[in-house]
Amino acid sequence: MSGDFFIGWAATPPRALRGVLLGAGLAVGLGLPAAGLLLGATAQDPAPPGYATVPGRPGLPDLPSEEALRGVILDGPSPLLQLPGGRTLILADDGKYGPTLDRDALRGRMVAAEGFVLRRGSIEMLVLRQPPTPLDDVATVPPPEPLGRWRITGEICDGKCAGGAMQPGIGIGHRACATLCLDGGIPAVFVATAPVAGHAFLVLGDATGGPALPAMRDLIGRRVTLEGAVLRQGNTLVFHAAMP
Amino acid sequence: MSARQVPVAWSPAKWAYDAVLLAGVFGYLLAFMQLGPLLQDPARPYDGASLAIAAHGSCAFLLLTLALAIGPLARLDARFLPLLYNRRHLGVVTFLVALTHAMEVLGWHFAYSATPPLVAMLSTEPALGAAPGLPFVPLGVLALLILFALAATSHDFWLEFLTPPVWKALHLAIYPAYALVVAHVAFGSLQSAANPALALLVTGCAALLVVLHLAAAFRPAPAEAAPHAEAPWVLAGPADAIAEGRAVIVQPPGGEKVAIFRHQGRLSAVTNLCAHQNGPLGEGRVVDGCITCPWHGFQYRLEDGCAPPPYTEKLATYRLRLQEGQVLLDPRPNPPGTRVEPLVLP
Repeated sequence: MSGDFFIGWAATPPRALRGVLLGAGLAVGLGLPAAGLLLGATAQDPAPPGYATVPGRPGLPDLPSEEALRGVILDGPSPLLQLPGGRTLILADDGKYGPTLDRDALRGRMVAAEGFVLRRGSIEMLVLRQPPTPLDDVATVPPPEPLGRWRITGEICDGKCAGGAMQPGIGIGHRACATLCLDGGIPAVFVATAPVAGHAFLVLGDATGGPALPAMRDLIGRRVTLEGAVLRQGNTLVFHAAMP
Repeated sequence: MSARQVPVAWSPAKWAYDAVLLAGVFGYLLAFMQLGPLLQDPARPYDGASLAIAAHGSCAFLLLTLALAIGPLARLDARFLPLLYNRRHLGVVTFLVALTHAMEVLGWHFAYSATPPLVAMLSTEPALGAAPGLPFVPLGVLALLILFALAATSHDFWLEFLTPPVWKALHLAIYPAYALVVAHVAFGSLQSAANPALALLVTGCAALLVVLHLAAAFRPAPAEAAPHAEAPWVLAGPADAIAEGRAVIVQPPGGEKVAIFRHQGRLSAVTNLCAHQNGPLGEGRVVDGCITCPWHGFQYRLEDGCAPPPYTEKLATYRLRLQEGQVLLDPRPNPPGTRVEPLVLP
């Protein structure tokens, strides 16, 4: 072997190429980790901090907490659990499954429900450990308060991931995951680009108050502008949106 | 060179190549998943699974860019040829990292559901035309399938079985795979990126590859050899223009390129295409009395184009003449391995 001619099976590389080989080795051995550090440091949940910020709460999704709750099952695009005092939670089972409950039998009834609560900003979800148990107690729930018609820009997502089960829980990269969640019965939420009456998250239904899917399935994960009636149910907003 | 198939013929260069490559890959993943989060905005964190998905996906993209940059770099500057030597290992590692990315997506975004993960992967995106843009998941799946085909055939067994032209044509599928990966990122993560880092990375890498390939494509090609009065001989240029131990590449009209080597005052002509992987033999050297391919070091005897025993590869040889200091070439190839007495220079 002579000069600068490289032969891969040779015992040693030519002296003239050692500088180039060292440079290439350093570029890969150190350049790749440097790129990884840069990208890892800038990989962030696309939801800005405002999505998770409410007065008195930290700017992050809360860690899931075990809770045993008593409240009334409300009907809507998806069943809601409203507690005395107005705290209102959307419901789901573990995994990408909607809540297992008999909506007709439990509608308007007081129930005991337990599981872990996901909370992010203005949205709370109770992930049920088991189906809610009906109670004999009687409770009255104030009717929803109409807030008028709104034209809102945002993204359709599933209430579990948007609520903090996944970070990021919104964005196009998360679209297929959200679609699978919504196909499985997880309540749909609308993640607004700007807060609506102080809420970044609204429970989403169609114009008649029924489930948003399957009509809005192709809109999941994209920035869309929807128009419809907004209702306040307890401390949660419900958006009855028409197809654009 | 191979007299028999072995899984991998290891050499010090391959060990070093793979060690540096793996150090870079593991360093990248470690920095992305463990060190990067320490510098993140604490109000906007990624969860661990999403971070791993992003880390492996971006790592595969960078490795694929590197694999595609090596070819034109080596054509533009021969000092980069050592990077070409073990590029198949880089390709296989790229596929494995991309596969890890896909498995992590399946285990996170497409898990925990009644729908089987593979079914979910192909059924949860809007149909073409039902939403703006393209469904980005199938683009990534298609790219991964191509990378699998290329990784699975990255062995000399498949090179020999398919023949170098077919193998090379198959491996050109790396280019559509890269385009699919760019589209996968552009119609996926970039649509909701929280900062421009990923966009800069993708456009920068793609632009770099375009520039390198254009520069390599516009590199001057050997001029077509002029016909000689005595057909079929063509003028290959002055004998003095061929440096000792090196070759000139001649392009006969309508024929394959021929490499004319000078060794110890004698000239020999063989096809410019290495029998191993169609490497450019004319850019090689004479080492230990043998033509040596610049890509993988395959060697052939000057006088008959045969690899020295026990190896079996053969090249087409050509006849040469000398007339008034000019080398004349008969552009009709002899059957591979045909002995042609080297042309002795005065």
